[in-house]
Amino acid sequence: MPVDHVLLMTVYALIVSTFFAFLWRATPPDRVRLFLQLFVGLMAGGILLAWLMYPFPAGPPVG
Amino acid sequence: MTQLSEEIGARAHAGGLVRAALFAWAVPGAGHVYLGKKRRGAVFATLVLAALWIGWSLDGNLYAVVTNRPLTLLATLASMGVGLPYFGLRYLLGYAGEITAPGYEYGSAFILTAGLMNLLLVLDCCDLASGHKE
Repeated sequence: MPVDHVLLMTVYALIVSTFFAFLWRATPPDRVRLFLQLFVGLMAGGILLAWLMYPFPAGPPVG
Repeated sequence: MTQLSEEIGARAHAGGLVRAALFAWAVPGAGHVYLGKKRRGAVFATLVLAALWIGWSLDGNLYAVVTNRPLTLLATLASMGVGLPYFGLRYLLGYAGEITAPGYEYGSAFILTAGLMNLLLVLDCCDLASGHKE
């Protein structure tokens, strides 16, 4: 299984958004609307968090 | 309606709710199928099992309780939320995850999410069975 961060984040967002769209909405148009809101929110939120963490070093200090 | 028949009706109703909740926990999507929501059950089953499969493929952690680490209890309960597949992976396949795998953290997240999603499905089935939701 490839470990591409963006791909995995996208797949995760797809699964979770679809899940809640079906769980919380009954009609197809409402489901599509909620799916898009959640998917875009998750993807944008993830990318935003990634950029906010960018200045900070990854992992523990060497030595 | 007499009091006795009302009591019998209430118990049958409660029994149906318990059965729906048990089915929903044991097999993802089965609770909704039991309640007649076949398409929804199939969609939920696909999503939960896909998340579990991805987590397994990434060698994510299948949480078990570790002594002196109380948060592992919460994580274990969340992972067990996926139902019988948790026990199949752990005891039939001997799977526990591989901490050195590159996808370990992601896989752990997918497995936890699968369990938590299924627990939400159990609650949804309780709402459907009790008439709080259609």
